[in-house]
Amino acid sequence: MSTLKILRDLFRYNGEFAIGLVLVLVVLAVAVCSFFSPYPPMDVYVVPPDVPPSWEYPLGTTSRGQDVFWQLTFAIRNTLLFGIVVAVLSRIISLAVGLISGYKGGWVDRVLMSINDTFVVIPLFPILVLFYFIMRDQMSWVMLAVITALLGWAYDARLIRSIAMSLRTREFTRQAVFSGMGTGKIVLQEHLPFVLPIVFSTTMNNINWSIGIEVTLSVLGFTDINTPTIGGMIYWANQHTALVSGIWWWITFPVVLVIMLFIGLFLLAISMNEYIDPRSRLSRLGGQA
Amino acid sequence: MSPNLLDVENVNKIFTMGGLISRTVNHAVNDVSFSLAADKPEVFTIIGESGSGKTTLAGMILNSLAPTSGRILFQGRDLRDVRSRRDRLAFMSHVQAIFQNPFDAFNPLKRVDRYLFSAAQRFTESRTTEEAAERADEALRKVGLSLIEIRGRYPHEMSGGQLQRVAIARALVSNPSLIVADEPVSMIDASLRMTVINLFKKLRDEIGVSIIYITHDLATAYYISDRLIIMQKGKIVEGGDARTVLAAPQHPYSIKLRQAVLSVDNAWRDEPFADTIPAVVT
Amino acid sequence: MITELRPIPPSVELKAPQTAPLLTVDRLKAYYKTQLFGVDREVRAVDDVSLKINRNEIYGLAGESSSGKSSLIKTIAGAIRPPFRVVEGSVRFNFKDGERDIYKLSPQELSAIRWSHLSYIMQGSMSVLNPVRRIKHAFADFALPHVSVKGADFTRLVERHLKRVHLDPAVLQAYPHELSGGMRQRVTIALATVCSPEFIIADEPTTALDVIVQKGVLSMVREIQQELGSSVLFVTHDMAVHANLTDRLGIMYAGRLVEEGRTRDVFKKPLHPYTAHLISSLPRIGDEAPKKGLEGSPPSLADPPSGCRFHPRCPLAIDICHREAPQMVEILPGHRAACHVAQADPTRVEAVA
Repeated sequence: MSTLKILRDLFRYNGEFAIGLVLVLVVLAVAVCSFFSPYPPMDVYVVPPDVPPSWEYPLGTTSRGQDVFWQLTFAIRNTLLFGIVVAVLSRIISLAVGLISGYKGGWVDRVLMSINDTFVVIPLFPILVLFYFIMRDQMSWVMLAVITALLGWAYDARLIRSIAMSLRTREFTRQAVFSGMGTGKIVLQEHLPFVLPIVFSTTMNNINWSIGIEVTLSVLGFTDINTPTIGGMIYWANQHTALVSGIWWWITFPVVLVIMLFIGLFLLAISMNEYIDPRSRLSRLGGQA
Repeated sequence: MSPNLLDVENVNKIFTMGGLISRTVNHAVNDVSFSLAADKPEVFTIIGESGSGKTTLAGMILNSLAPTSGRILFQGRDLRDVRSRRDRLAFMSHVQAIFQNPFDAFNPLKRVDRYLFSAAQRFTESRTTEEAAERADEALRKVGLSLIEIRGRYPHEMSGGQLQRVAIARALVSNPSLIVADEPVSMIDASLRMTVINLFKKLRDEIGVSIIYITHDLATAYYISDRLIIMQKGKIVEGGDARTVLAAPQHPYSIKLRQAVLSVDNAWRDEPFADTIPAVVT
Repeated sequence: MITELRPIPPSVELKAPQTAPLLTVDRLKAYYKTQLFGVDREVRAVDDVSLKINRNEIYGLAGESSSGKSSLIKTIAGAIRPPFRVVEGSVRFNFKDGERDIYKLSPQELSAIRWSHLSYIMQGSMSVLNPVRRIKHAFADFALPHVSVKGADFTRLVERHLKRVHLDPAVLQAYPHELSGGMRQRVTIALATVCSPEFIIADEPTTALDVIVQKGVLSMVREIQQELGSSVLFVTHDMAVHANLTDRLGIMYAGRLVEEGRTRDVFKKPLHPYTAHLISSLPRIGDEAPKKGLEGSPPSLADPPSGCRFHPRCPLAIDICHREAPQMVEILPGHRAACHVAQADPTRVEAVA
């Protein structure tokens, strides 16, 4: 069954997946709009400040003279990009560590897992704040993404390792060995397909987790505040005491959009989980439970 | 004099489990020796029940496990010296394995032919896909299949007997001189079992492959073996010509094993188990 | 050590049923029906099976994987869950205290007859015995709700039962992992029979055991059955076990019962070509004749062949076999088979064996 057909069937028969997908697509559409923005993202006082939502400015304008809608398109694009970069980087690390550790076993496993456990117990938030205070101006969002990814792979690597360990004892792995396949081929072609569905669903959760980190750090001002992100927008709104002065639209719309993204990704993750449930998977493959 | 195909010399395997405080020692294979001649292909059977060490012994012959002491020579070469990837591949092209459960022997998410192609590319001179396909087809024809029948098929589309035949073909791609088959028919349906068993006979007689057949089933062992050994708790208790040993076992354990085989010819008696009803079992 | 035993003279009939059969399965159809992502699948695991099991007999059920034998016993035990459901037919027990139709009982009534009237011996003993509880707790968990005695009386009942099945009551104090595989299987058999059930279903109880242990466990089944006078439905794919243990034997192929008769008759004079093949291909120690495997593959239950389901693999298949599914017909006294060829001329099937 092709991936496309699976996605189509999921959309048709799985309510959570459909709602999740629609929410994520709406957020993506907003992000894509950034490419058509009439204003550069960094410019301020390009529109009259503090205008409530109206026909001309559908989501209002900020106290810094920026159009909330167009500002939001850049913010969500950067935030989303941040989440995806973190998720992809941390997935690569956790797949490599988990699959090799589980397949090789022995001292390779012991070394990799002791590194893994070190990362599991490192307190995440203080480290990130610490990095901000050390790096200050060099703290770009790319740097932040790399650091977050380095701190976010360990849990899933353990999960992947446990699956790889059970795959190692399966007869088809020995069949592959006796067909002359090397470690790389066995791990990438024989074992990877079994962990991919789980990696897929943890990716959604990892994107959510890293966006949460980014928003929290930005709201507190511990990031590069000049790159527009959802957290950055809320930071500026707080700086201008937007809620106190009744500029609610400056805070409400970014929050609503990021919540839509959270819920959308969460629903995708749980519907994926349902799909990868081995029992329903087996019956689709035509086997008998 | 040319070396034997396989020499197993005083091989021991001891597994130590547990940590510093409670340590259990399992002497899985205890001083086992036997040889297979190079010029006389045969079906050599290792009979044993669970815990007899037969699977551990197979693992050592396949060079997946190292003996604790003693040595195993394949064509005169100590398996301890077969360590590098190149040596291992060369070894695997001569000694191949067939596993117990045909339904687990192929990755359910992959087509079965990939293993044949991989073996053809690794173990034979084939460089192109066409050459590999030819090698695969050749091997499949030896087991009564052809590449056209199985190309592009997934394991769940095939029966256990077919899958086991594909597994045997996969092992044959490299033209090995020895095949180790660990319980190859215990998971196969009765109506298909004899097809696979007969195949081993045919491989021995027509292609000249020696087969180490590992089983707990004395009836199929009688049917195909030339020689056999009976193992109990890691030790060989009896060995020799298969027909002679099974017709008149000497060692008390072999006798017990032989008597436990349910006969179809002596069935339908009033009390078929009267002789085995124990007093109080403790 | 084996003492030669006196064979049953052919004239001695097995205990003829005086009363109505204990179990009547009537035209039972039970299918797996799934609808997943819009694709309907129907697997006809049990397709039009009728059989009767008498009091005080061991009825053997033989068949390969996906022959439907496991589905049939699940249906008989009333232990089925969607997507597997009974489509047609009935399963009726004629217990001493009244007749019961399994699929007309409420869940409470069904659980009331479990253990006391109908019990189940499974293949894996570890799935029954809780690894962290002593054996005596397993007895209390399963059997206590079904007997009228409590406390010390219950312990005495269990101990008496264990002695009856030649087990040392000391096993009650053991944990499952302290016992060998054969011993654990003996304990599960004792557990299943402690309430003296009238009907016992044994699902491959010896398949995972070593040969030497297997023989002892089988003799235990036989002995308990005689002691309790209950009926046993014994399922295994191992024909040698059937030959040595069962009184009557049913052969299943692709969801259908294809042959049924007294075990001795089925082995001596099989009436279905599939049975004939199963018996003739059994390797025997001392027999050096070449044995043939059966061509072709077992059919898929989701898409079974037309007519007789065995026809694509049958050496005797004739025209009608492709079109019409044969019915189970009594060809010889007490010996039924579903085969067009045998129904026309029973001697032809023997010829292929």
